[in-house]
Amino acid sequence: MNTVALPWTVASTRPVVSDRPADERALILAAQRGDEPAFGELVRRHQRRAYVVARAIVLNHEDAEDAVQDAFLHAFRALDRFLPDQAFGAWLHRIVANAALDLTRRRKVRDADDLPETVASPFRDPAVTDELQRRLAAALASLPARQRAVITLHDVEGYKHAEIGGMLGIPEGTARSDLHYARAQLRDLLHDLRSDR
Amino acid sequence: MTDHDRPTLHRDDELTTRLRALVAPPTDPAYWAGLETRILARVRQGRDGAAWWVLPERIYRIGLLAAGLTLIVAGSVYLRHRALETRMAYETILDSADDAPVFARRGLFDGERPDPLRAGPATTPEDRR
Repeated sequence: MNTVALPWTVASTRPVVSDRPADERALILAAQRGDEPAFGELVRRHQRRAYVVARAIVLNHEDAEDAVQDAFLHAFRALDRFLPDQAFGAWLHRIVANAALDLTRRRKVRDADDLPETVASPFRDPAVTDELQRRLAAALASLPARQRAVITLHDVEGYKHAEIGGMLGIPEGTARSDLHYARAQLRDLLHDLRSDR
Repeated sequence: MTDHDRPTLHRDDELTTRLRALVAPPTDPAYWAGLETRILARVRQGRDGAAWWVLPERIYRIGLLAAGLTLIVAGSVYLRHRALETRMAYETILDSADDAPVFARRGLFDGERPDPLRAGPATTPEDRR
């Protein structure tokens, strides 16, 4: 028996999400209409950068993950107010930074006494056993959250001062001075270890 | 030259390398797939959880407008009511001025009343005389 392929049954009725990269604007518009797979695709595309931004601010991997989840929930709720012609990444990163800073403030209030002990390891990084690495984690934890974010985003992730300022809601000049003080602080705190080497 | 003007405050490559290792995102694709699932579950939970008490923005705005109008109307009614009460109080006083109560008439105390000063000691030369 011959089978006949019916062309109209092959085509999917679902319009937006496919395996190939879809236009982000179309994804945003679909997500704004309540298309969950479209929002899922936005999550897939942006979660890694969102994690990096969050991890620059919070002290450990678990908090970074929490901040990312909070941020995507905030973004989903605010999606109808987002203009699709804006840069979605920049908008999302600002939300992530706010979520991470908020989480840091809450942690600071809750764990004010045992902050040095909460300097958790990076995600499954074996190098954490290294003395300098542990000292670096402690030194990083001693920085104010904003300075920690600025030095990580600038020196490690390569963001520009203006971008960091936009993300953290501070002027570019403040980002510059935060970077300066963060570098000075880390240098002071790690001076002895470095001179031994 | 202050501490912070020193050229040593440029990026320290060794420190940056260490810092990068410290904050490095996970590399396992399974982790990202799992995180995506957790994020979407959280969003779904947040959306469904919020749905029973969060009003749509349009209804919220209409409600806010209605509440504002109600407040204005209630305020206006209250002020008018107070003005009316005040006016009625004045009118009552003015209308009843002609038939004043009996105890207010002078005639009630027309009789001889003792003067309490007469019983007191003389304080002026005229009194002494």
